[in-house]
Amino acid sequence: MSWRSKLAQRLTSSVLTREQQEHVAKVTIDDAGHGFDRFGMSPQGVGVGLSLFRHLHDHYFRVKSYGTENIPKSGATIVVANHSGTLPLDGFMLWSDILLNTNPPRAGRPVADFFVPALPFINTLFCRGGMIAGSRGNVHAALEAGELLFIFPEGVRGIGKAYAKRYQLQRWTVGHAELAIRHRALVLPSAVIGAEEAWPQAMKIKGLSAFGVPYLPVPATPLPMPTRFHLHYGEPIALFDDYPPQSANDPEVLREAAGRVHDAVEALIERGLEMREGVFS
Amino acid sequence: MSAVLVTGATTPVGRRLVEVLLDSAEDMRVLAVGIESAEQSKLPGHERLTYERVDLRRGRSVRELLHGPARELQVETIVHAAHHRSASDVGSKVHAINVESTRSLLLQAERHPTIRRFVFRSHVEVYGVRTDLPSVFAEDHPLNFSPDAPQWLRDRVEADLTVCARMGMCELQIAVLRTSECIASECGSQLFDYLRSRVCMRPMGFDPMLNLLSVEDLVQALMSATGSDAQGVFNIPGADTLPLSTVIERVRRLEVPVPGPLLRPLYRLRSLTRGTQFRYDLNAGRFHFSGVPDGTRAERVLGYEPSYPVDWSTIAASRL
Repeated sequence: MSWRSKLAQRLTSSVLTREQQEHVAKVTIDDAGHGFDRFGMSPQGVGVGLSLFRHLHDHYFRVKSYGTENIPKSGATIVVANHSGTLPLDGFMLWSDILLNTNPPRAGRPVADFFVPALPFINTLFCRGGMIAGSRGNVHAALEAGELLFIFPEGVRGIGKAYAKRYQLQRWTVGHAELAIRHRALVLPSAVIGAEEAWPQAMKIKGLSAFGVPYLPVPATPLPMPTRFHLHYGEPIALFDDYPPQSANDPEVLREAAGRVHDAVEALIERGLEMREGVFS
Repeated sequence: MSAVLVTGATTPVGRRLVEVLLDSAEDMRVLAVGIESAEQSKLPGHERLTYERVDLRRGRSVRELLHGPARELQVETIVHAAHHRSASDVGSKVHAINVESTRSLLLQAERHPTIRRFVFRSHVEVYGVRTDLPSVFAEDHPLNFSPDAPQWLRDRVEADLTVCARMGMCELQIAVLRTSECIASECGSQLFDYLRSRVCMRPMGFDPMLNLLSVEDLVQALMSATGSDAQGVFNIPGADTLPLSTVIERVRRLEVPVPGPLLRPLYRLRSLTRGTQFRYDLNAGRFHFSGVPDGTRAERVLGYEPSYPVDWSTIAASRL
């Protein structure tokens, strides 16, 4: 066994409970022969990822989830949610939450911006946990393989939104609708409540292009605040039932389909904000 | 009765292909072509095998080959697998064997009375590897047109496009196989040379996914393409998809992560002092970012599926 495997094993056994270790052990991947899939994900990498986020999920952000019965057990699925948080804390929590609340466990594939694979160490850690770089070819291949993807249509605009714009969806791209129609993937509209207050951004330093990062975020607080995260999963939307595959080429249809998803996410956000009693509770 | 012309027949891949072709049918005849003499070719003696020593860089030699022995044997298919293997050699002679011989063979084959099919062995190295490109390559993946690319790479891209450009322009059936790196001795494998050192340096903070092909699978892919009528470009992946660190582990070498910018001068030094072939500038992209060919099309159309994993023990035993 390599030192990497030993280190990963030690980390997971010391951080995860026995039940969680057994749960993660059930993660299946499309093994390309050496314990990794074509994108570099490995069950051990998923265990390491969960070990890193487990305390954040259980104790720091005290994640509460609603509608987990809506998460499809198998098949191509696109989780579409609002985005915020200086760093993608919402993505980490969604990934952990879906992994812990599905049986057999589904290790989702966060679709990252192009600069992420260029970040040393981060790229390897994220790839082993399931991240794929957001190029068209990669998402096509992942959906064809029946994977569960995370897409934040607000993109960098969402993660960098000002505190005053919290829970206001920014420009909503349509790529997720195109993919869902073309690959007959279910769209799981989701809302992350709590993340938009967790780490407000004080300013952005632009012009620093190290590793292709679009800007350097300067958060208002040195650490994220321990707001409680509420994750709401809506009913899956089968866009492919209403739109034939060839309509995935029609920009008008895509805007309409993406608008449906936008409205579903917005409704979940409104419901989530009404339901919660306070930012920290 | 059928006959196949194989170029690059004196390489390990070519020799194995010739053997498999001869075993494939009792009436199969093979015209093997290489630059070495018949004695140096190490090809098996066989009544249905004809060996011709030909310098493919010379257009006249190609014409004489196709309108002489190939015509007599009524060759129907050409498998063009010859290319210059050394990455350190540059210049017009290297370009001639990589590109001009391909062009010449192709143009002569188009006008040939018996040749119906042209199978060209290309390489997945022709694809661009960048963060904004997919890490799983389909056949429509952008090619590497970087003007800074070494001749080894530019020649491969040019040869690939030279063949692709003739598809549908003539009656010849053309299949281009973009093969993963065939990691074996004397196959021009950069990674094989890289792994011959006891210490393998890799970029710190990066551990990309690679796909590797065995000689046996490469030969199976060439056989599938030879026996098919299908035209087009096909990715040919191998049975092994794994991170670079695991490759190093498999051959029991010492892995040393080094900051990326230092690797080029360090491997240049290795090349100068040990006379090795591995060039970091050729491999910098895939040593940072994953690149795995998608073989779905080859599986669907040619019926090719990788089934022979790389023989790690042989690679482990080959040390500098």
